[in-house]
Amino acid sequence: MSTSSNQDPRLTQSAASDTSLLAAHEKAAGKQADEKGNYKLLPLALLFGFSGLIFWAGTYLNRFSGQFSGKIFDENSVPSTGAEVVAKIDPIVLGKKQYAAACIACHQADGKGLTGVNPPLAGSEWVNGSEERLVRIVLHGLKGPVKVLGVEYSAAAMPVFGKVAGSGYNWSDEKIAAVLTYIRQEWGNKSGPISTELVSAVRTKEGDRKEWSAEELLKIQ
Amino acid sequence: MKNGTLFFLGLFASLTVSFAVVLLANHQLGALTPYFDDGEGKAFPDRMPGVAARGQLVYRDLGCASCHTQQVRRPGFGADQTRGWGERQSVARDYIFQPFPQLGAMRIGPDLTNSAGRKPSALDAEDLMNLLYAGQGAMPAHAFLFNQVKVTGEVPAKALKLTGSAAPAAGYAIVPSEQAQTLVAYLLNLNTVYDYPESRPVVQAAAQAEGAHK
Amino acid sequence: MSHDTQEVSANDAHARGPLLLLLGSGLVWLVLSGVLALIASVQLHTPTFLASCAWFTYGHMQALQETAFVYGWLANAGLALGLWVLTRLGGEALRAGNWVTVGALFWNLGVTIALVGIVAGDATGHSLLQLPRYVQPLLLIAYGAIAVAGVLAWSGRRNETSYASQWYVFAALFLFPWLFSVAQVTLFVLPMRGVMQAVIAGWFAQGVFTLWLAPLALAAAYYVVPKVTGRVLPAYQFASLAFWVLIVVGAWTGGRHLIGGPVPAWISSLAIVACSLLVFHYLVVWLNLKGALGQGGAVMKFTSFGLLAYVIGGCADAFTSIRSFAVITQFTYFTQAQQQLALYGGVSMLFFGALYFAVPRLTGKTWASAALIGGHTTTAILGVLLLVISLGVAGWTQGQALLKPAVTFPEIAAATRPWLLLATAAYAVLLVGNLMLVVNFLQTLAAKPTVPAATLFQATSDIKETA
Repeated sequence: MSTSSNQDPRLTQSAASDTSLLAAHEKAAGKQADEKGNYKLLPLALLFGFSGLIFWAGTYLNRFSGQFSGKIFDENSVPSTGAEVVAKIDPIVLGKKQYAAACIACHQADGKGLTGVNPPLAGSEWVNGSEERLVRIVLHGLKGPVKVLGVEYSAAAMPVFGKVAGSGYNWSDEKIAAVLTYIRQEWGNKSGPISTELVSAVRTKEGDRKEWSAEELLKIQ
Repeated sequence: MKNGTLFFLGLFASLTVSFAVVLLANHQLGALTPYFDDGEGKAFPDRMPGVAARGQLVYRDLGCASCHTQQVRRPGFGADQTRGWGERQSVARDYIFQPFPQLGAMRIGPDLTNSAGRKPSALDAEDLMNLLYAGQGAMPAHAFLFNQVKVTGEVPAKALKLTGSAAPAAGYAIVPSEQAQTLVAYLLNLNTVYDYPESRPVVQAAAQAEGAHK
Repeated sequence: MSHDTQEVSANDAHARGPLLLLLGSGLVWLVLSGVLALIASVQLHTPTFLASCAWFTYGHMQALQETAFVYGWLANAGLALGLWVLTRLGGEALRAGNWVTVGALFWNLGVTIALVGIVAGDATGHSLLQLPRYVQPLLLIAYGAIAVAGVLAWSGRRNETSYASQWYVFAALFLFPWLFSVAQVTLFVLPMRGVMQAVIAGWFAQGVFTLWLAPLALAAAYYVVPKVTGRVLPAYQFASLAFWVLIVVGAWTGGRHLIGGPVPAWISSLAIVACSLLVFHYLVVWLNLKGALGQGGAVMKFTSFGLLAYVIGGCADAFTSIRSFAVITQFTYFTQAQQQLALYGGVSMLFFGALYFAVPRLTGKTWASAALIGGHTTTAILGVLLLVISLGVAGWTQGQALLKPAVTFPEIAAATRPWLLLATAAYAVLLVGNLMLVVNFLQTLAAKPTVPAATLFQATSDIKETA
């Protein structure tokens, strides 16, 4: 019997025995359709509900799981095909950083170099002129006398920057293209950018070689 | 359930399958290596200096993680960026050299991931010592991290410069204990400096993300 | 076919010693954790409280109260009630009772060492796993000793088929040590690296609730409700499906609190999905056990409140785990409110209900004081409601303020202060109620039985099967 007010509140009586509890629930677990052979509404509603939940779960996972990739930390993104998710880098920003890291010591922050010792880049015909020559200078270095803006630099020793033998810097083609793009638009220079593909093509073509001399470069257009 | 053995195996299988989630995560994250940046010529993240690593133990022992988090959420998910807690989302690689990452679960106080790198308002050592000694607002005072010493001769170099009612009695100085010093060294080391490829924001239109910035 | 049977037998007398030891020690931890929780709550709105002592920082207090509540009160009570249900339904006397006694003593020793260790600064920093590293193996072994009795009660059962309570207890007996030992190895013995620790800690913490405490609480409820109402559970044919949904899906909710965190997005997406799938489990549990509502008496009041808290809390969890909601409530007092609703409002209240049912049968006496029962019932219900609501509102306020960058942290503290004061009041109310329970329990133990146990309990008849 269900509890009522005349029961002792200090003792809750049981209304059923353990053995009958076990037996009755065992029977209940085996129930399928009711006596008339119709399926009860409750099981169908629960099954539909469960299926609905699974459907929602699948849709949510499809949309927000980043394809279970270990590199996706933002649930809104999708993994790129194979390569890492990388936002495009602005070459001017990268080039400026590279310049400040390596070039500034000789060519100075204003691009004017040191008269007689380090050639200027601002307004230089080498910088604003042929792309092929400029890429080679940075890739393989330059040794020997060179004339820039009418001034002779007799002992130029431009280091090797590219990914070639004897290089102390091993800059990627992308970095070289970026720094060249940067210097070609800085300090009054108004020349076009250098592409990474051009640098790669030059490096493939020339391979490993010793530093250029000015007259070798002048032979290239 | 009639078959006891089958039931037992079912339980074991359920737990094992859920642990497979953990194992998959470990497969993705457990072997994360530092990211080598060509431009900088070094790998990120840096390991913590030894003093800072000891300071992390002090941080853990005191239970600072019960009020402070050390995880920045992505832009657009909450106001983490606008509050200046970090310019990008924290990613797994930020924590690979921390023996006990203190991610935290409550923000009763601000997030500390980049507390040493905030411009312009990062707290320096002196500010941190004073904050720990006196507390501020909801942050309790941690005066037990400091010792009051009698000044004989010169005032100790590390003594806190306190004024007003917080100042110690004349002839005494408040000096940080070793725990306080290592803790502050740790806090001054909290700075995630590098933008890893996986941490860069998704919006491709904003293509001006720098390669790295200090 | 229909026959009256005795409610208590020699089995209950035989199990008396070990199980009352477990229950008694659980009650001691309940009061202690109540005091610790009160202190921690005061420190939130009055940071100067006990700030001068290194032992009692808020971080230590939080770890202490959580450990004492879960590993002290909930573990002891859950194991006691679970073993009791298994022996009652198994029909045999409790075997390995001495193992249970020894296990209980070492378990409580372990929890004591853990609390001292936390005060000394050895808390691990992982939620629901703050136990210092050196005490964890001891707890595991002690648990194993206690669980031996349960496994023997299951394997020695008279009836070949089994009832839902027995499944739940059997599952809890095994799942906890597996969870615990794996967490120990992967976090402390051979630690995984970096954020993997957070992933494992999340897996463990969610597992403690869904795979250990909730099954023990459900086992108690599934037993008590049909016993008291005298009716077969209406949706019982779905009970096994609900059981398996909880066991299988419950462990996938580990990433629940890592939303937006420094882990790959799929971990938290999986957890969100799992929280929603569990709604099916809550629905079936509700359909089965809602017969408890509207019944009188402390047992049914506690059980119905616990059921409501468990079901509503679970469905709320499914809702609040979704990212657009989580962005507000994450890292706020709201998560504390949810945890208190689940652990206190759900599991603990269901344990109270079963406790009030079990103790007379174990001791052969009625409870000593009806007034204390009524007082505990009222204070517990009021206290939990006040606690959950105040922490919830505090968390919501905090979350909304965190989203506005112009609001500073001192301003947030000032805005949440009144609600935190209410939460402290709630903890005080709960503590008073639990003290009433402890006093009542001790008085019951000390009282001399007035009538033989057999005559105390009315003979039970067959359960009524609904059409």
